[in-house]
Amino acid sequence: MKFKINRDHFANGLAQVLNVVGSKATMPILSNVLIEAEKDQISLTTTNLDLGIRCKIKAEVKETGSVTLPVKRLATIVRELPNVDVTFDASPNHQVKLASGGSNFRIMGIGKEEFPPLPEFGDEKAYSLEQTELAGMLKSVSYAQSTDETRYILNGVYFNFKDDKLSLVATDGRRLALVGKEMEVPAASAGAIILPAKTVGELLRLLDKGEKVKINFNDRRAAFQIATDKDSSGLIDSVYLYSKVVEGNYPNYQQVVPKETHQRIKLERELFLQCIHRAALVCSEKSNSVKIKLTSNLLEITAQSPDFGEAHESMAISYSGPDLQVAFNPAFVMDPLRALTKDEVFFELKDEVSPGVFKTLENFICVIMPVRLS
Amino acid sequence: MSLPTIVHLDADAFFVSCELALKPELRGTRCAVGGRERGIISSASYEARACGVYTPMPTARALKVCPDLIMLPHTSGLYGKVSGQMFDLCETLTPFVQRNSIDEGYLDLGPCGFTTVTEIEARVRQLQQRLWADLQVPVSFGLATNKLVSQIASKLRKPRGFVTVPPGTEAAFLAPLPVGKLPGVGPKTEAALEGEGIAFVRDLLARSDRELKSLFGAGWEEMRASAEGRDDRPVDTSDEDAKSYSQQETFGRDIGDFAEIERIAKRMVDELLAKIREDKKRVRTLTVKVRYPDFTQESHGRSLETATDLEAPFYSLVAPLLRVAWKQRRPLRLVSVRFSSVEEPPAQLEMFAQTEEKRRRLAGVLDQLNSRGRDAVVQHGHQLGTQKAQKNAEEAEG
Repeated sequence: MKFKINRDHFANGLAQVLNVVGSKATMPILSNVLIEAEKDQISLTTTNLDLGIRCKIKAEVKETGSVTLPVKRLATIVRELPNVDVTFDASPNHQVKLASGGSNFRIMGIGKEEFPPLPEFGDEKAYSLEQTELAGMLKSVSYAQSTDETRYILNGVYFNFKDDKLSLVATDGRRLALVGKEMEVPAASAGAIILPAKTVGELLRLLDKGEKVKINFNDRRAAFQIATDKDSSGLIDSVYLYSKVVEGNYPNYQQVVPKETHQRIKLERELFLQCIHRAALVCSEKSNSVKIKLTSNLLEITAQSPDFGEAHESMAISYSGPDLQVAFNPAFVMDPLRALTKDEVFFELKDEVSPGVFKTLENFICVIMPVRLS
Repeated sequence: MSLPTIVHLDADAFFVSCELALKPELRGTRCAVGGRERGIISSASYEARACGVYTPMPTARALKVCPDLIMLPHTSGLYGKVSGQMFDLCETLTPFVQRNSIDEGYLDLGPCGFTTVTEIEARVRQLQQRLWADLQVPVSFGLATNKLVSQIASKLRKPRGFVTVPPGTEAAFLAPLPVGKLPGVGPKTEAALEGEGIAFVRDLLARSDRELKSLFGAGWEEMRASAEGRDDRPVDTSDEDAKSYSQQETFGRDIGDFAEIERIAKRMVDELLAKIREDKKRVRTLTVKVRYPDFTQESHGRSLETATDLEAPFYSLVAPLLRVAWKQRRPLRLVSVRFSSVEEPPAQLEMFAQTEEKRRRLAGVLDQLNSRGRDAVVQHGHQLGTQKAQKNAEEAEG
C-alpha cells in the first residue's frame, strides 16, 4: 500500500476517529486505526466493539492495500510532521514508512485480518435529519443523562420515533429533559433506542460537518451517516458512526411530566442563570441547594452553607399567584438554562415537594425534582 | 492547676437495680434479669455474682451454680426510661454529659468553675446520693483528669464505688493494677502478656519501646500512653445516633425448620424497619446471625445498592443470608437480625419513585395501626402461612 496525502487532511481524519479505542489489555488491536487505501481516498476506522467510527479522506493512492497502526501515537506524529506533503508506504510485513520533508518514520503495524470489521447496515429503520437540528436537540437534553453505572438504562439518550414525532429524552432519575420535533414517522419505521452516553458525546462532536445526517437503527444497534459537505480539510463522503444501543426498557417518562400547570412565570434566561450561578457560589457539597421564593412580582433566590455564609438575589418578575418556596440543586436549574438558546423560558412551580418544570415554545420540557427544605 | 474534672459514672447491676426499685422486697436476694430457661443472664445482683453468676451466662447454667436464683424477666421500656432520668440528673451538675451506653457515661466538670478537689468530690457525692434517693439506682464514680483513668477508677470498687485519682498520680494509680484493666487488653491478650511476664501495668512500663513494639506492633505507642494514664479524648456530648438496629430471639425449643426460621427473621425485619422509620433513618446492610445449641454462631451480611426504610428490598436477602450463615445441618437456638450502614434520608427527591412512595405511605399507616398494641394488628402475608400451619397442628393435636 502506498499513498501521498496532505498532512493536515491526514491529521484531521485521525482526529475524527481518535476517541474510540478499546482497552489495550483485552485486544491490543483495538488501540489501532485501520487504514485502507483505494482509488482516490483512504478510509480510517477505529472501534471499541461497542462503538466504531469511519471517515474518508482524499489522497493520491499509488498502490491500494491496508494496515493498522496505533492511533494515538500516529495522530501525534502526523500533527508534528514538518512538511505538508506526506508519503505513506506500508510493506507486506506491516511496517510503515512515513516520510515528510526531511523526516522519516518507520512504524510497526498489525495486519487488517485481526481488526474487527464494523457491521454494515441493510434495510433497517431509516431517517434523515438536519445535522444542526439534531445537534441542537441533543444539546438540550444530554446533560440530564445519568452517569451512575448502576442505572445503566439511564446512561444514554432515548430516541423515540412515534406518532409523527421524534422525541429525545434524558434523565438521571432526579431531572428529566425532553425535546420533540414533528416529522413523518411511517408506521413500519416507528421505534425507539437508547443511545449510549459515549456515542452521544461522539455524535455531538461530529455533527457540524455538513447538511444531513442519516440514522439507521434496529433493536440492538444504530448507525449514523454524517455528511461532510461543509468540511474543508479533506474529509469526503460521510463519517460513519456505528454504535450498540443500551438494551432494556426506558422508564415511562410521560408519567413524570406534570399534566397540569400551577404557577407559571416567564424568565429572562440569561439573567436568571446569572442569579442562580452567583447564589450557588456559597453552596458546598453538604448544602448544595438554592431556595427559590415567589411573592407578588418578586423572585428571590437564597443559598447558604453553615460554614461559609449566604447569598441573596432578587429579580422583578410578573407574578400574582400565592407565595411559595422550593429548593433545587443549582446545577439542575443551570444546566437547561445553559443548553437553551432562546432569550425567554417559562418556569412552572407548584409547591416545595413538587417538581419544577422549564418549558420553551419549541417542544422543550425539563422537569427537575426539588430538594427537601430543611 | 489541674483538677480531676473528668468523671466516669457506671450504674451498678443496672437492669437488676431498675427492677429492685420496683420490687424492693427482693433487695439482698440472689436475683438476675434475663431470659427464662433457654435465655441468657443480662444483669445479676451482687449477691448472685458472689455465687458465681456472671453476664452473659446461659440461664440454665446460672440456675445450676445458684439454684435459688430469682429470675426476673426483662421489663420492656423500663431501662431506657431510668437511664434517661439518670443522665438528666447528671445534667443538673454539668451540661457536658456523654451518654456512652444505657448505664455508663462521662461528665466533664472542667467548665463548672470548681477550684478544689474537695469541692468537686462533694458535688459528685451529692449526685451519687441523689441518684440513689430519686431513682434507687446505685452508681459508681471515678474522678480523674482524663477519660481513661476515670473509667478504670469507677470500676475499681463496685458497687457504690467512689475513687478519685489526684492529678499527677495517674501512672502510680495504674501501676499495681492487672494489665487486663487497660482498654484494649482482653482476656486473650492478658493471658498472652502474662506468658511474657507482664501481669501488672508496672511490668508493661518496665519494658523498653523496642520490646513494646515487638509485643503490640503498630499500637505500641498507644499502649504505653494507656499504661502511663495519658489520654486526651474529650467528653463527647454530641447526641449520637444509632449505628445499627438489631433484634434477636432465643427459641423455647431448638428449631430446625428453615421456613419457620425465615418467617421469624422476616418478622424481625418488619419490626426493626418500623423503628427505623420512626427514627427517620434509612439502612443499607442486613446481617443475619444464627446460634446453635452449643453457642457456636455464624453470621452473614449483605448490602443493598441504596439505603431504604422499607421492608420489601430486604425480604429477598433473608433466605440467601440464612442459607449462608446456617451451614451446619443442626437446629438453631437463636436467630438475630441486624441492620447497619444507617443513613439520613437524602434531601434530593427522586422522580421514578411512585411505587416506593406508595409503599412508604402504606408502611406509615401500618406503623400507626401497629403502634397501638404490643402485637401487630396488621401483618405482612409471610407471617400468616405458618400461623395457619401452627393452628392446623394444634387442631390436629386437640
